[in-house]
Amino acid sequence: MNSRRPDRLSRRGFLRTSVGASLAASAFGAMPIPSSALGRDGHVPPSERITLGGIGIGNRGTYDLECFLEQNDVQFLAVCDVKAARRDAVKKLANEKYGIKDCAQYRDFRELLDRDDIDAVLIATGPNWHATAAMYAARAGKDMYCEKPCTKNISQSLALAETMRRTGRVFQAGTQRRNLPHFAFACELARTGKLGKMHTVYAHPMGMSALMSGWLPAEPEPDKEVVDWDMYLGPAAWRPYNAKLLDGFNFEKGGGLVGGGVLEWGSHCVDLCQWALGADGTAPVEYNPPENGQIVARYENGVKLVLRETGWIPLGSCPVRFEGETGWVEAGDSGKLVLSSPELIAGRTVEEIDGYPATFHVRDFLDCVKTRSQPKGNAEAACYSHIACHAANIAIALDRKVNYDLEKHEFIGDREANRLRSEALREPWRI
Amino acid sequence: MDKSRYAFGWIVLLAIIVSILGPMTVRAADNQLPPLEKQLIETLRSAAPEEKAIACKQLAIYGSKAAVPELAKLLANEQLASWSRIALEAIPDPAADAALVEAAETLQGKLLVGTINSIGVRRSAQAVDRLAARLKDKDAEVASAAAVALGQIGNDKALKTLRQSLAGAPPAVRSAVAEGCILCAERLLADGNGRAAAEVFDTVRKADVPKQRVLEAIRGAIIARGAQGVPLLVEQLKSPDKGRFQIALSTARELPGREVVEALSAELASAAPERASLIVYALGEREDAVLPPAVLRAARSGDERVRLAAIAVVGRLGDASTVPALLEIAAESDAELSQAAKTALVGLPGKKVDVELSRRLPAAKGNSLAILIGLVGERRIDATPDLVKALDNPDKSIRSAALTALGATVGPKDLKVLISAVVDAKNAADAELPVRALQAASVRMPDREATAAELAAAMPRASTATKKASLLKILGAMGGPKALETIAAAVKGGDEKLQDAGTRVLGEWMTADAAPVLLTIAKDSSSENKYQIRALRGYLRIARQLDLPDDQRIDMCRQAIAIAERPEERGLALDALKRCPSAEAVELASSLLDDKEIRDRAVETAIFIGEKIKDKDPAAAKSAGEKALEASPPKELADRARALTAP
Repeated sequence: MNSRRPDRLSRRGFLRTSVGASLAASAFGAMPIPSSALGRDGHVPPSERITLGGIGIGNRGTYDLECFLEQNDVQFLAVCDVKAARRDAVKKLANEKYGIKDCAQYRDFRELLDRDDIDAVLIATGPNWHATAAMYAARAGKDMYCEKPCTKNISQSLALAETMRRTGRVFQAGTQRRNLPHFAFACELARTGKLGKMHTVYAHPMGMSALMSGWLPAEPEPDKEVVDWDMYLGPAAWRPYNAKLLDGFNFEKGGGLVGGGVLEWGSHCVDLCQWALGADGTAPVEYNPPENGQIVARYENGVKLVLRETGWIPLGSCPVRFEGETGWVEAGDSGKLVLSSPELIAGRTVEEIDGYPATFHVRDFLDCVKTRSQPKGNAEAACYSHIACHAANIAIALDRKVNYDLEKHEFIGDREANRLRSEALREPWRI
Repeated sequence: MDKSRYAFGWIVLLAIIVSILGPMTVRAADNQLPPLEKQLIETLRSAAPEEKAIACKQLAIYGSKAAVPELAKLLANEQLASWSRIALEAIPDPAADAALVEAAETLQGKLLVGTINSIGVRRSAQAVDRLAARLKDKDAEVASAAAVALGQIGNDKALKTLRQSLAGAPPAVRSAVAEGCILCAERLLADGNGRAAAEVFDTVRKADVPKQRVLEAIRGAIIARGAQGVPLLVEQLKSPDKGRFQIALSTARELPGREVVEALSAELASAAPERASLIVYALGEREDAVLPPAVLRAARSGDERVRLAAIAVVGRLGDASTVPALLEIAAESDAELSQAAKTALVGLPGKKVDVELSRRLPAAKGNSLAILIGLVGERRIDATPDLVKALDNPDKSIRSAALTALGATVGPKDLKVLISAVVDAKNAADAELPVRALQAASVRMPDREATAAELAAAMPRASTATKKASLLKILGAMGGPKALETIAAAVKGGDEKLQDAGTRVLGEWMTADAAPVLLTIAKDSSSENKYQIRALRGYLRIARQLDLPDDQRIDMCRQAIAIAERPEERGLALDALKRCPSAEAVELASSLLDDKEIRDRAVETAIFIGEKIKDKDPAAAKSAGEKALEASPPKELADRARALTAP
């Protein structure tokens, strides 16, 4: 059984509504929660704040953390990072924010997770650690905001959703565009039938090659207190220290075999396409390798998901376009929308927020920590949008069409594709 | 685009593998194997560690049982064990299971933990006895890994072993044993054996295990029992422990059945407000959710936090019968409650809600009338006669609400009401709201050309230039040929206010058909034209931002450069050129290399384009570099230019 918000549809529901039956059921928006309803409209005493720890707080993590620190019902208690410089920088940031001196520092995130006084964690390591750390956090009883891409392969995606369900923890993927008004409105137009019967959704992958990170020549390994290389490698297969690999952003993304732009950006824009179709509990079943600058995937009901690099109206990065039989909408990071007809927006005011801030997404997460509801970037939604990205990457890597069975979660008649669904973790880590 | 480009990373990887293998001796026993697997196995036998690592990755995809012996040898290698397991976890042949189980006999420490983890992932049933023995390993990490692996295998024997171990396991291992039990129970539940699953969950939730394991077991025990799990759910809702209350809230959303709704509703009466509001949200987010009477009661009175939550749930789950209650709340003096009720009324599903609101409109007065009019507008209910009547109401707030609502609801037949409100307004301030309403209405008319014609026809009736300018702005928001024609005519008319408004509107035009109009204005150097620069910038915005064929974009840049008197606009033209990298664009950018005011920008543009076209047109790229160097650019640009000229 899955916990779902009424604004999200099951796979069966998606298939039914997308072929033109009533779309009324998908017209729900997120449950509006006034600030005073959760007691966050004024000063929040320390005893009622959500206590937070940070794991892997580099550039992106610092941005996320600042979004958390803006919230008056959050108390940041501890940072964990394998790099001393990052630990010190975050401790300084937190201490200055609160006028304290005791923000705790850890090199091993398990020590942070062992603390009973921490409710939730921000996981902003590189993609190598995201899923593994998230599942350790869930098993330790923490809720979590986890940066994307959240998983390295299909198996991790499924395990992530299953673990969050089993443990009852609140998980928010760092897919912050789900909480930006113009993207949400564009998805709502598609999901609620305002564009007619949907036939095609478009996402911008920013590169369509299957990537892998390599084994570079050994360099002298720093002291563990400066950079803990063993913890940095974590679940990734062993290789010698090389400073060039310390860029967590690209290290072992997608298991080190696949996972280029399709995963990096698809975890945002494919995710939005899934939401627009009300398809959070499903994914395309057919994935074609790139041809003429496009990857075309198809859902069971024939709706096409197209990943393409060109042909976009200039609306900033991460554009998406949703096309139905009677209209279309395109949106991007500029905060702007372009509509096939102004009538689609008549009577509505949609705030234009550019720069894709995460503040609203963080707020959504914190509210759900209190209500135990599912945030917009919940584990099941993230699971299936990531499955779509991984499957597309497998089509790229094998350079052939692959067909995915959503019941068995395996590729049909393709042994090689099936072997790319998962990858062993380095000892002692597990998911 | 060439398909092979996308597979580049993959091809490079294979090429590296093949190149590092070098000459090889293919052993007799391997003769039947595919060539790639043979090469990869040979790499495992003899190559450097980094080559073996990559071979393991490949064997994960292409390996068979023939690769297992060589892979198994690496399980004891601290550097390569994890690479080896990548392949061994993926190779479907039972030989891989056997190799991992055998290695688990001799390995120790982390390497053993990793091997056990892989056994768990593969769900190797033949490993149960050996894993059971490892449950007693003195290394807690090993014993814990064995417990979880048994849970992943999840057969009867594994479950029995885990249950027997739970109470007596050392504290450091007990959490993993509990996790193993829970994994087994989840599998039983998924297989339809709820009764057996509930027994296992009960064992765990009553055991001395970490709190998170207890919470997971509580959730499982409730769900496995279905409706009979409700008393256990209620017990958690009443628990003073925050974690138990929270797991109850999430489980309440998962568990189907009226009994759950009734139990949660009953809890509302006795729960403290901060908990009651959370129970209300849980009630509102159940898949089978219907509006419980207790929530409607909670919306009407009581603690404000609970009321706000309940009002939101009524808005989601209510129907026409809940309209009166929500309207009463909307009329309350508390602004937050009132707004919450209005939001709920806007979202309340069903056509019957529209009928109920329309029915109340004619008799409503004062604040109630204003609320109803607002709702009519937001829900886009067709109630034009009542709204038109409200335009004569002595209360200004009602007149304003009616205008806004008309903007959202009026049809083509009655658009004239709003046009008159604009052109007949006594002054600019009075026209502000009608203008907004008319714009909202105009942009959603089905026949926009006809609507544009109606607005164009109204232009002469507008008594002031300000009103005419407002009509131009509305036409700009609509777009289309008639709107463009009307705006172009107004700009040419000589009235400065209309030129100002018209050129502003054209500067934001969303289609390229405004380009010729803007170019004409940009070329008009007569003294009456004060908006040459604005028009030229609008023209260049189209060239830079809109989707155009390359030749059209380049031609627009050429036209703009020819008339641009200021370096700022010539620079914008260079920016637009970057969108269509070609030899022609290089030529055009290079034509500005003598322009002292923007020479560096022209150099950078030529180089930028040269870099973009280097592969498909090396001659043009070289020419770009050579021309850029002739302009003696700064070092960084010179370096890039030289790179283009290199053979």
